[in-house]
Amino acid sequence: MSTVSPLVRNGQHVTAHHERLTKQDLLEIYRRLWFARLFDEALYDAKKKGRLRRGNVYSSRGQEAIMVGTTYPLREDDFVSPIHRDMPVFVFRGMRLEEVMCQVWGKAEAPTRGKDSWSHMGDISKGIIHSTSMLGSTIAVACGVLWAQRMDGRHDRVLVAYTGEGATATGPFHEGLNFAAVHKLPLIVVVENNQYAYSTPVELEVPTETVAERALGYGIPGYSIDGNDVLEVYDAMCDALEHARAGKGPVLIECVTYRLLGHADHDETRARQYRPVAEIEMWEKRDPIPRFRTYLLSTGLFTEEELPNPPTDIAEQIQRAIEYAINAPDPEPHTALEDIYDEHAGVSRCVK
Amino acid sequence: MREVTFLEAIRLAMWEEMERDPNVFIIGEDIGRMGGAFGVTEGFLARFGPNRVIDAPISETAIIAVCVGAAAVGKRGIAEMQFIDFISYAFDQVVNVAATYLYRSGGKTPMPIVIRGPSGGYVGGSLYHSQQYEAWFFHVPGLKVVQPAFPDDAYGLMKAAIRDNNPVLFFEHKYLYRRIKGPIPDAHEDYIVRLGEARIRRYGNDITVITYGAMVHFALEAAQRLEREGISLEVIDLRTIKPLDMDTILESVRKTSRVLIVHEAPKTGGVGAEIAARIVEQAFEWLDAPIMRVAAKDSFVPFAEPLEKFVLPSVDDIVAAARELAAY
Repeated sequence: MSTVSPLVRNGQHVTAHHERLTKQDLLEIYRRLWFARLFDEALYDAKKKGRLRRGNVYSSRGQEAIMVGTTYPLREDDFVSPIHRDMPVFVFRGMRLEEVMCQVWGKAEAPTRGKDSWSHMGDISKGIIHSTSMLGSTIAVACGVLWAQRMDGRHDRVLVAYTGEGATATGPFHEGLNFAAVHKLPLIVVVENNQYAYSTPVELEVPTETVAERALGYGIPGYSIDGNDVLEVYDAMCDALEHARAGKGPVLIECVTYRLLGHADHDETRARQYRPVAEIEMWEKRDPIPRFRTYLLSTGLFTEEELPNPPTDIAEQIQRAIEYAINAPDPEPHTALEDIYDEHAGVSRCVK
Repeated sequence: MREVTFLEAIRLAMWEEMERDPNVFIIGEDIGRMGGAFGVTEGFLARFGPNRVIDAPISETAIIAVCVGAAAVGKRGIAEMQFIDFISYAFDQVVNVAATYLYRSGGKTPMPIVIRGPSGGYVGGSLYHSQQYEAWFFHVPGLKVVQPAFPDDAYGLMKAAIRDNNPVLFFEHKYLYRRIKGPIPDAHEDYIVRLGEARIRRYGNDITVITYGAMVHFALEAAQRLEREGISLEVIDLRTIKPLDMDTILESVRKTSRVLIVHEAPKTGGVGAEIAARIVEQAFEWLDAPIMRVAAKDSFVPFAEPLEKFVLPSVDDIVAAARELAAY
């Protein structure tokens, strides 16, 4: 295991929360990492083979440890707002894989009913807040979700808002974090610093050495951690959850990682032109999955056979969901004009 | 009945809805401790507490975003823009986040939000405290746009807006805040003015004047003047700009066959253009004259009095246009 990185704010180290994880937990984390990887590969494959003909596939290859490590310690009643490289988070937080695939294929039974694409979905009943293409904007929206909890006296429900290092340059990122910090809302912003916003390198997005330093301006803890080490991500998240649930306000966690593929599937050629190939190859060696597997074997708790590489049942499960989505009905054209307005009697669910 | 100012009518509507429904909250700059730049929310903090009356940082995006996030989980936020001009800061939250939310949630997540604030000129507010940019939002599906002219409508429309399940832009003309007084129903009557319904404020036979906001008062004054000349104006106060009450408009057009559209916002791409197009599409054979528009010149609203007067429409402009129409 790598050592944990210092907190930017006060130089403390994160606690080794992962030491309390059971063998069963570790195995589940391993399987989730593979789920994310195989989900990604299956959709790239479907796109390449022409089975997915519409929309882009935004790869999370190389960033799996962030999704798994940040969601694993959450409570069922916590909120998340995943973005485009977090598709598996929707499944980790309770959405059915078939629903997610229907969303990718734009089918009638997708959460958006085919209205919007890819990750722009949610399910309020499961605490999944919808994001938009304007990645910073959901950070500000998160404040409203949390304010509503405050109105209801639910102070310890946390919202994990995912964003990229590029989106930390947007206005809503600042307004949202500033608001959350002023009012000590339990918001955890996970910045997936994969080094590139489309083609723009991080040094043209962020003037400081780490993204975590942005936290200083809000007087909140900022972590800069190894985003390819699932247990380090888990540990930082547990620390952040304790902080947020205790009413101490928001936390920023910068997970340093790398986008192994292009911005989306259309970008594979250029992504090897605007980035040095040597850099890509270096990060391939830091792949979070083999890294975690090596660690698990080193603990002596697991045999090689217990850690299938990859677990074939997961690949099959994903493939079944893809077949389900491909065969699911398309939306009726006229439904394009539904859900623009809600004309139900406009009263709150709870009226005096 | 209570005799109140335009401002007081809005204040009372919000107050009574907050009494009625604990899910309603307000957020904005200086709205709590100070009671709002114009005093619309005076006394709210003491009555409803800081969880429901939020003094926000100068963050228009966050102010509206808080309403969006809260609406997603069942609350009803009222966002005050200290001046409606400042909404440009929060444009993404309004048009890309709030307006689309129901649609992209597959109809599952309604967005009950009211975004309100003082709009309009004639007060020397200059470029950033005078604008009437309802047309920005008129163009966006998923939004509703309201602008009352009288206290009873302001009161009933605000209540309807708060109870509506969609994002509602509520333009309050600051010129009317303390100048216009009128009766409003008592609280126990639970009075509502449904969104999307125009009101004929003056009946007439010769020309249909379609307008809203402060221009309703200008049009009524023009109608009085023209009555002496034997020109009879029918003045339609749209009250809700989006959705448009085309039934009321068309019924009047079929009666008068002459149409004058008046708005304070710049003419090009204004709400009047859409109204004119729809009348032509739906009642062309009833028209006896070209549809005319009185609107602001295609300019910003300047500061110096002679400049502001030159740019914004006046009662004289309405009178002149109506004469021209009547003579056509």
